[in-house]
Amino acid sequence: MSELEEKDPVVNSSLARPMVIASVLLMVSLAWALWDEAYATRPWKSYQSRFVKLYSSYLKTARPSAEDAEKKIRASSEYLRLDKEMQAAEKSVLAKVTEIDREVNQVLVPQSLALNEPFQEVRSSIGALTYQIEVASSEKAKQSLRAEIEEIKKDKVTVKLPNPDGSMKKVEYTFPQMDKDLLDWKAKKAALLLQRVELMKPASELRARRDKYLSDRIAEVSNETLAGVERKLAAFSPGIRQIHVKDVDLVDRCESCHLGTREPVVLTKAAMGGEAMFTSHPNKDLLKTHDPEKFGCTPCHGGNGVATSSVDKGHGRHKYWLWPMHHKENVEAGCQQCHSGEVVTEMGDTLNAGRELFRLRGCMACHRYEGFDKEPEDLTGVNQQMRQLEQQKAEWDREAGFTIQKADKSKDNAEAQRLYARADDLKVKMSGLDAKIEQLDIRSRSLIREIKKVGPSLKEVRSKLKKEWIPVWVKDPNHWRPGTKMPVFRLDDEEVQAISAFIWQAGVNGKVPPQPQGDAERGKEAFETRGCMACHSMGEGSAKQGGTFAANLSREGEKANYEYLVRWVHEPRERTLPYCPYEKKDLTEEDYKRNGAPFVFDLEHTRCPNDGHELQVQQMTPMPSLRLSIEEARDIATYLMTRKQANASLPAAPYLDDPKLKARGQFLVRNYGCAGCHEISGLEEEQRIGTELTREGSKPIERLDFALLGHDAAKEGWYNHKGFFEHKLKDPSVYDKGKEKENKLERLKMPNFNLAKNEIDALATLLIGSVEPNIPARYQFKPTDQRQDIIEGWWVVRKYNCMGCHQVHVGQTTVFNTLTRYQDPDWKDQRPPSLIGEGARVDPAWLMRFLNNPAQEEKDLNRNGVRQYLKARMPTFHFSDGELRKLVRFFEAMSSQAQPYIAQKLDPLTEQERTMARQLFSSEGAPCLKCHATGDPNHDKRATAPNFTLAKERLKPGWTKRWMIDPAMMAPGTAMPSGLFQRDGGRFIFAGPTPASFQGYQKDHADLLVRYMFQFTQEELSRLRASAGAGAGR
Amino acid sequence: MDLHQLWTILSTPDNVPIVLLLFVIPFYTWYGLRQSFANDRLIAQLEKDPVMAKTHHRKTQPWRPGWAREVHVWPYLLRIEFLAAIILTVILMVWSITLNAPLEEPANPTLTMNPSKAPWYFLGLQEMLVYFDPWMAGVVFPSLIIVGLMVIPYIDENPLGNGYYTYKQRKFAIWTFLFGFIALWVSMIVIGTLIRGPGWMWFWPGMTWDHNRLTFDVNRDLPDIFGIKNRIGKILFGGIVVGIYCVAAWIGVHMAIVRDAFGKKILARMSLLQYATMQLMLILMLSLPVKMILRLVFRIKYVWVTPWFNI
Repeated sequence: MSELEEKDPVVNSSLARPMVIASVLLMVSLAWALWDEAYATRPWKSYQSRFVKLYSSYLKTARPSAEDAEKKIRASSEYLRLDKEMQAAEKSVLAKVTEIDREVNQVLVPQSLALNEPFQEVRSSIGALTYQIEVASSEKAKQSLRAEIEEIKKDKVTVKLPNPDGSMKKVEYTFPQMDKDLLDWKAKKAALLLQRVELMKPASELRARRDKYLSDRIAEVSNETLAGVERKLAAFSPGIRQIHVKDVDLVDRCESCHLGTREPVVLTKAAMGGEAMFTSHPNKDLLKTHDPEKFGCTPCHGGNGVATSSVDKGHGRHKYWLWPMHHKENVEAGCQQCHSGEVVTEMGDTLNAGRELFRLRGCMACHRYEGFDKEPEDLTGVNQQMRQLEQQKAEWDREAGFTIQKADKSKDNAEAQRLYARADDLKVKMSGLDAKIEQLDIRSRSLIREIKKVGPSLKEVRSKLKKEWIPVWVKDPNHWRPGTKMPVFRLDDEEVQAISAFIWQAGVNGKVPPQPQGDAERGKEAFETRGCMACHSMGEGSAKQGGTFAANLSREGEKANYEYLVRWVHEPRERTLPYCPYEKKDLTEEDYKRNGAPFVFDLEHTRCPNDGHELQVQQMTPMPSLRLSIEEARDIATYLMTRKQANASLPAAPYLDDPKLKARGQFLVRNYGCAGCHEISGLEEEQRIGTELTREGSKPIERLDFALLGHDAAKEGWYNHKGFFEHKLKDPSVYDKGKEKENKLERLKMPNFNLAKNEIDALATLLIGSVEPNIPARYQFKPTDQRQDIIEGWWVVRKYNCMGCHQVHVGQTTVFNTLTRYQDPDWKDQRPPSLIGEGARVDPAWLMRFLNNPAQEEKDLNRNGVRQYLKARMPTFHFSDGELRKLVRFFEAMSSQAQPYIAQKLDPLTEQERTMARQLFSSEGAPCLKCHATGDPNHDKRATAPNFTLAKERLKPGWTKRWMIDPAMMAPGTAMPSGLFQRDGGRFIFAGPTPASFQGYQKDHADLLVRYMFQFTQEELSRLRASAGAGAGR
Repeated sequence: MDLHQLWTILSTPDNVPIVLLLFVIPFYTWYGLRQSFANDRLIAQLEKDPVMAKTHHRKTQPWRPGWAREVHVWPYLLRIEFLAAIILTVILMVWSITLNAPLEEPANPTLTMNPSKAPWYFLGLQEMLVYFDPWMAGVVFPSLIIVGLMVIPYIDENPLGNGYYTYKQRKFAIWTFLFGFIALWVSMIVIGTLIRGPGWMWFWPGMTWDHNRLTFDVNRDLPDIFGIKNRIGKILFGGIVVGIYCVAAWIGVHMAIVRDAFGKKILARMSLLQYATMQLMLILMLSLPVKMILRLVFRIKYVWVTPWFNI
């Protein structure tokens, strides 16, 4: 053993080295802990300092230009004039104002202050004694205390009051004197200050005007604001910036990093050195209606508003945060939570597109979604209510009978009277029920009319289609007609055959009369100008033109039967056989004959001959009638029959008539949910086959079946709602991948819609936004005023594609704006009118009549009611009462018109005024009749503007006047000339030469014309025609 | 081999202590035993030396001539403890900086997470639920564990081994501890943490925790295997089987104690109550691995089925 080992290691070994190392490690970990606490878990600190740096340097570049602009304005003569006036006004009252200020500040205020203290002292002692009086028990004690107070009041106090020159004077005061002086001085001071304000008034008004002149002329931010921002930045102290909305317990600290969001200066990415996180909110208008102080950030954007320790956590991109921030392409998902009942949300274009796809592509036919396709549900609800009310009525009826019986038998007179009164009450209540039932009945009839299907009825395939076309189409509709609404089901040949056979065999045998051929040339012209193309498109590939609302008709000739097509073009709603929902069958002529009724069914004859129930008498298509003559319908149908590909041929399909396939086909049709979109015999009552999607976005992720892809999704980063929806929409069978499902029926049924990327984004946005709202109901957009009318109206406007022809809101393009033909200047005036401001323009009662019958005529339906010069025709939609009401209310609300409409009363015209107006109307200077129709067929041939004789029924007088004065402002590009009137003092006078009779006329010329038009009579029309004719003759 | 899955499980902050456990426990067991064996050798050497025998002496750093027979706590012990305290502080600080508390999503009463696991220190109990009915695994056994720990000082009649490591003098106690703590308690925690996946199914390390996984497993009661249908028969049969087990375990434990002279000596010092208590606890402790084997290998659900309890 060596020496060293001999030594006792417990006593002699040194721990110095491990101790030093451990201590150093401890210090290092301490430093690490401090750094972690101060910086690593508070990344916003470095963001804040970077923001301050970037913002300051941006301001340095932005400020000079703003300063220059402001300097220029300050140097402008107008500003200098205003400034000089202001200075002069101030100067003129300067002496008086100084005098007042001196009096107030050097005399009244110091004196009051000096006197106030001794006064307060005495008053307090009196107050204490008064309290003692109030609580004293004996009258004697009270008396002595009162005497004491009197004593105090008489006592004299010496007060030192300051003189204006600074010296003091001694004054002797009793309490009442002090009181009086103080009040006097106060009154005097108030009077003087009032006087001062009066004196300064002109000067301050001028100052305000000068400042307004400046602020009006600075486009973005004033120099002052910039200086304010700079000051703020100089004094910037790092810290959490949070929005706390107390009543919903919301804390959002997003602005701790996103500091530029609400800056008054618009900060772009480029301005902030390419850092997108510091930019201002891109939509300031949105923030105006959704003030962040009230709404916070995360209710709309998602994310974890309280988290500040890392970007991922703050944005909620964390496995355990259930409400991650929406990605850029889905940012509008946040709107849906509160705007869930809407089909059109302002500023929500992606979301609106998603909703439109959800409707148009038929998602709603398989998936229930609150608000979409709700008519069938409403109908069930209404029918149920009706049944309940009828039951109630029967009960009351019986009870009334019993009560009367009891009353008849009762011995007591008073008792009998009581019972009779009760029976009477019940009868009155029953009549109230009758009224309710009547209303429900009307509503139910409305609803039957409102129910529409996404796809065409398959009941009439036998008369409508070429038989062999069915299997070709069922197999792959998107191949036959690229971009069609109908999705591709993953069917094998056996299934295609069975389904086609069932559809063919389930068709009804309605009669379609034979039709002679029309003229394809004329048909083409009509197809392109009547308005068909607002919904339908024609041509394939890049040659495609027209709307996407309805089918592309480029290959119509390959599939359709001519006779049926004529009938369809003429009146698409016409059925060959009506359907009775009560008996669940299509009625035939037999049913009518058996009951001795004529075989007539239309919107006036809607009752079932067998049992009196309401029938479905219309095709459930949104396609309207263009009120074409039968000849024109034949022309269009003939044209459409020529639309086919060269060498088009269809393989023979003898199996379509094989009755053995029918049962199998029906089973498959039911399995794939075909009846969701199509009306099919025997399957009218089918329910939706898909899952409800109203709250799909807040379904727990575990309940979304990623099947075997869950692990890949987690690895690739799409194990979330967005990823699930996007993959499903892109390839609906994606979650069957790798699954062993031998039975085909077990496989996912959702067909492939061949959606484009932007369509998937739009639909995913809708679905991501479809969440259980986690904010209180009052934050949700459920208005009770006119805005509700707008919400409801949009559903109807979208349902019938009004926007294919009309501009309904600012910034919208119609299909007509995109058609090549309508780019020609000659054809521009042929576009259907814009409906912006329609509610302010027309009388709501007239609008209701017009929408109901756009021909404005009972017999000659083959025309436009208002703009007869337009080739495009306002179709008849056969709106239900409910839809009419919603539409009229919608337009009124869009133009902020008061409900109900009360027509403005106009002063009656004197005979002289009438003559004057007539002369003006037909004068050379105001060629109103050159364009406006009058109802005279000869004249109207050349007319290019609405019939003004309808004005008194159709228009609102206030709008008419505004229109005549400046039409270009309301409808840029209108043919109606502007500048017809010019302002002359408080009135408008005609700008051109006026007839001699206007000499000395002091009233408003525009008013005169309005009154003339709104008090127009038939006699006046002939007089006007005569004078206009004379004018034209000259 | 799904390394992604393995990493996910091992790196979850909640599972880090278990991973540490996997290394730390074998190490310290080995370390302690090494010291014990060294001491045992020393004891044997000292016992041979009549001068040194029967005297108090240091056991960890054996005394040599010229060394102090005893050393003071301060500074010789406290400085080491202080060093240990510093190192532990460093470990705790680094741990708390690098691993955050494993908070998860808000609880949803309509959706139970899968797998749904207790905190790590309770996972052994949760794993026990697989083998016994909830009354046994959740109430009886946990209580017995606590009672068993409490009675140890009262049944331990071995006066040796205080204040130094030794294997020879405390063989029985060490084996009982190794079996009860490491083989049962720790390994069940490890199984519960690392092995049990969705559906509380058995996933070997490296297997993907697949929510769609399906396994076919029929667990039957022992009486059913023997075709006993009526209730009385089941109760009797189960009672007999459990009785046989108890007798066998009793004999086994007894044999283990009386294997050597030292054990016999200790046994002789025990009262009947002490002996009976010890046997009861050990029989119950042994029943756990027996039942685990029955369940995992032979797919037997219960041995003794009665209307009141199941074993």
